[in-house]
Amino acid sequence: MLLQLFLNGIIYGSIIAIVALGFALVYNTTRIFHIAYAVLYTFAPYNFFTFHTNHGLNVGFAALLAIVSTILLSMIIELTVYKPLQRKKSSLNQVLISSIGVMIIITNLLALFYGNETKMINPGISGSLLFGNILITNNQVIQVTVSLFLIILFFLFLKYSKFGLITRALRDDENLSKVFAINIPGLRLFVFGLSGLFAAIGGLLVAYDVGIDPYVGMPMLLNAFVALIIGGTGKFYTPVIGAFVIGILQSLSIWQFSSNWSQVITFILLIGFLIFRPQGLAGELQREV
Amino acid sequence: MNYILHILIMINIYIILTTSANLVVGMVNLLSVGQAAFYGIGAYVTALVLIVLGLPLFPSILLSMLVTALLGFIIGITSIRLKGDYFVLATLGFQIIIYTILNNWISVTKGPYGIPGIPAPEALGFIKISGIYGFFIFSLILLVFVIFVFYRLIHSPFGRALKGIRDDETAMLALGRNTTQLKTQAFTISCAFTAISGFLYASYITYIDPTSFNLDESIFIVSAVLIGGTGNIKGPIMGAVFVVILPELLRFIGLPDNIAANMRLIIYGFALCMFMYFRPQGIAGEYKFL
Repeated sequence: MLLQLFLNGIIYGSIIAIVALGFALVYNTTRIFHIAYAVLYTFAPYNFFTFHTNHGLNVGFAALLAIVSTILLSMIIELTVYKPLQRKKSSLNQVLISSIGVMIIITNLLALFYGNETKMINPGISGSLLFGNILITNNQVIQVTVSLFLIILFFLFLKYSKFGLITRALRDDENLSKVFAINIPGLRLFVFGLSGLFAAIGGLLVAYDVGIDPYVGMPMLLNAFVALIIGGTGKFYTPVIGAFVIGILQSLSIWQFSSNWSQVITFILLIGFLIFRPQGLAGELQREV
Repeated sequence: MNYILHILIMINIYIILTTSANLVVGMVNLLSVGQAAFYGIGAYVTALVLIVLGLPLFPSILLSMLVTALLGFIIGITSIRLKGDYFVLATLGFQIIIYTILNNWISVTKGPYGIPGIPAPEALGFIKISGIYGFFIFSLILLVFVIFVFYRLIHSPFGRALKGIRDDETAMLALGRNTTQLKTQAFTISCAFTAISGFLYASYITYIDPTSFNLDESIFIVSAVLIGGTGNIKGPIMGAVFVVILPELLRFIGLPDNIAANMRLIIYGFALCMFMYFRPQGIAGEYKFL
């Protein structure tokens, strides 16, 4: 029983990890608290639903189209909302509020288009594998494989490209990075596109298993925040640590308490970290802005 | 006529909410997204006090303000030292914790079923506040009281000290002010007056459930403050009037109900983006929210 819950926690944690990676990517480079990220997570499954269920495209092609459209939406948000605000030198709180505005607009547009109720993407019960007394569904196998693959791919990319260095330069001193001829608008666009990719894949993996409604983005985003703070800000790999911690913790809390209280435990952990260890488990202390 | 009175009562409730939120958001520039939690605590304490203890009006308002202020003080003391995004996250955490407790502590709050049948409060032993006219006058009296208090607060040395923190915290520290203490006081006062809205809401609607006090409601309150404008008295009033009247106007256009709810939120979201870009100080604010 304990092992089963532990394993469920790791699988759930791996999903939180990729969603949190995308969020952290934006937060660590631009310091934008990208709340509109929550709608990217729901936008992809709805597109998949349109292409796959309504137009009958096959799963792989529909998923590809859904991911591409989410990346485009992410870039459009950067170009139409964040970039003009940045050009006006708006404060971070103004950007945060605008981001909330964008989230509200797109969530409700999705609700108008597709309805408020849960849409099932993959009707029927998926098969499962049994190891001793541990049960893993096929969907869970897909979830954990794809997310671990994506995480490893991203880390290889960070290791073998100058991306990590350049983005850290952008975060620390924007003017100095301009002097070193870094194409900042292009880099920002790339960062937003990449974060859209993470959100889309996370959303698709979960929605393929349990279905989708317009309001699932926010709870997942909250998990991503907590993963980022617990793991630590300022480095790219830290949200993965935080994500596995809260995935396992939430899963185990079902064992001790009812599932209703798992969010309370997560957020008490968040507040504890904010007060006693604001740099997180593995982050670096940041200068105040 | 009853319809107009109902809208006016709701406007009064929201003006009290936004005016008290303004003390934190507009005067000290701390973006608190936990206001709905305090609104909810105020409402739940009111409901329990009126039903279980059966206290009259003034003791029950005071008790509800006291409990909320105490909670606000505890939350304030733990989160006020955090800067920027971290403060937002901490208040968000407390908002979700309190909402989950309201939703799951079944033996006290009855969880998602809510508390029905909250009795009308009694004042001075013989005035029973009931009926829509009664509540309109009652809410108006409370509103005038709250606005008077906040007018005096904003124009007092305390209010000027808060504005000083907002504009330059380091300078205030250099002048020997204990900024953390000032901010905690502002946060606690704001929570106490938010409880008055909770009291009005619970006793007027006579039924409360946790969904009225969730994260969306918090975001809604903050948006109302920011759309109206921060830092003075008229800004939050404008904001509250705007957000309560807008959905009623949409009703007259004749949108079906299921579309209207989503349309309303889309317009709020759009208004937020537009205000942040073109007019960060809101409709009537004196201060550009930073």
